[in-house]
Amino acid sequence: MATDRGCSRAGSRDGDALASQPLSARARPWSSLLSVIVLAGVWGWWFLDLDLSALIPAQANRLVIFRFFSAALHPALTYESSVPPETAPLWLKAAQAAGMTVVFAAACMSLAFLLALPLAIAASAVWWSSVLDPGRKQHALLLALAGSGYAVARATIGLLRSIHELLWAVLLLAALGLTPLSALFALAIPYAGMLAKGISELLDEAPRGPTAAVRSTGATRLQQFCFGIVPTVFTDLTAYFLYLFECALRSSAVLGFFGFPTLGYFISASFENLHYREVWTYLYTIFLLAAITDVCSGAIRKRMTA
Amino acid sequence: MTVHVHDLKILFRARPRSMFLRLSAWFFVLLVLLSWPLGGFTSGSFFTARRLQNVERFAGELVPYALRGSDITLEGVLGWASELWIRRGAEALFSTLAISLVAALVMGMLTWVLAPIAARTLASASALLPTASRNAVSMLGVLGFLTRLLFLFLRAIPEYVWAYVFLGLLGPSAWPAVLALAVHNTGVLGKLTADTIENLPQAPLTALRGLGATRAQTAIAGVFPLSLPRYLLYFFFRWEHCIRESTVLGMLGIVSLGYWLQDARARTFYDEMFFYVVLGALLVLIGDLLSAIARSILRRTS
Repeated sequence: MATDRGCSRAGSRDGDALASQPLSARARPWSSLLSVIVLAGVWGWWFLDLDLSALIPAQANRLVIFRFFSAALHPALTYESSVPPETAPLWLKAAQAAGMTVVFAAACMSLAFLLALPLAIAASAVWWSSVLDPGRKQHALLLALAGSGYAVARATIGLLRSIHELLWAVLLLAALGLTPLSALFALAIPYAGMLAKGISELLDEAPRGPTAAVRSTGATRLQQFCFGIVPTVFTDLTAYFLYLFECALRSSAVLGFFGFPTLGYFISASFENLHYREVWTYLYTIFLLAAITDVCSGAIRKRMTA
Repeated sequence: MTVHVHDLKILFRARPRSMFLRLSAWFFVLLVLLSWPLGGFTSGSFFTARRLQNVERFAGELVPYALRGSDITLEGVLGWASELWIRRGAEALFSTLAISLVAALVMGMLTWVLAPIAARTLASASALLPTASRNAVSMLGVLGFLTRLLFLFLRAIPEYVWAYVFLGLLGPSAWPAVLALAVHNTGVLGKLTADTIENLPQAPLTALRGLGATRAQTAIAGVFPLSLPRYLLYFFFRWEHCIRESTVLGMLGIVSLGYWLQDARARTFYDEMFFYVVLGALLVLIGDLLSAIARSILRRTS
């Protein structure tokens, strides 16, 4: 989120920069960044001892790879092996798995939002300057309390989001066992961190105009925060929330690899049975899920900015 | 001027409303309310006595093995950590970092090949070559559409699934992780870069064309330098993501951080597992920091 906003700012200044700077001066930071990227990649290549010839598969593997990719053209519509007669048809199984993937993602985002809200507010500088009027002299103890609240909230956000959701899953499954609720918390904790980071940055970068307008009506600082700042971030917040929901869908699909009934579970089961056409059915199901979410969130964003 | 409650009511009633947005908001609320019982998150009592006992046991096993039963000193913990760091930690950390760096390089290069094709302004003949034949125009249009569809497909499939599939097909090496990260993130970076190219200011490009530049020359001398700052911003944004993901891809059996974590988990050496989790978090934080520095350099100079 913050990146996108930064980008739009940088993008709008491209034109001015072009006009005011000589070509050589402009090129310098970019070409050095590019060379750092290339050098870092070459170091990584050397460190991992990568070999391009490893990408050319052995004769035996070549057939498997060909079989896998040609299965993309005709995904399975029925099971590739015989199943007991009472088994649900494949399309229904795929739909159920997709449904469970959505269920995990939606529950994750609702829990993450509840966890993120207090964190985000405590981690935004605007909030603290709304509660404690910086123009007035405050009690030292109050200031210290506010400062530590801000610092603790920032550190917590960093901690929550820097641990990948699958690492949270490993930790929580070891501690709490294989239950849906521990999986849900594993997903929701890092997403709460990401959401809180985004919200606090949006609050701090909110335009000051509306706040000034609300202040001119004689509103208190807290009212300025609630009615001058919060409504202005609502559109961007929705866009960020939708982006994270898309990411949560993918994460919840991957959680299936840990034994939960989302799409990942069925992908690994079919792949291990060498039923490549079934694998592609599930892959296309994820694709469909992502495409539908993409279209919906695009339509919502368009109507909100219109 | 005083504002009456009556005026406010009129203003409130006249606010812009969208049926579509209301319906989608209600739909999402309904989805959330249904998801809790459907996912089985609310069923039964969660904190049973047995589970609490299990949590307590787990917390006990997080204490380094050598220090259990004796006083836990800072010295002891540091000694345990440095021993693990020398034995495996450093190697695991650097190989995870290396995987993300190579993947980012591959992603960056793939994007340079694919994004110009997906950008509708560049791939359409009308803007740059008014004399192009109708066949060429429609062919470029189809090619651009297919590339966009490919981006959507690549980014729809999570890295972990790509890595799982590539590992099954290519066998164990660092390649499956590198390719999985590169493929998924090309889908994201490619789309963002194609959008950037489409939204470039048209004046410099038109000027170049007016000077008689060919399509390739316009792309190299106009589109490339104009889109570079934004491309780099997105690149670092995606590299952060690559680092975060690369900490777990090893769990599939690719030698890096996740591999040793899974190994410790399988042997129920929870103290060692915790060490790798902390190491992964540290790597992500370092990556975020480096990327933030690079992005601030870009923002200051562009």
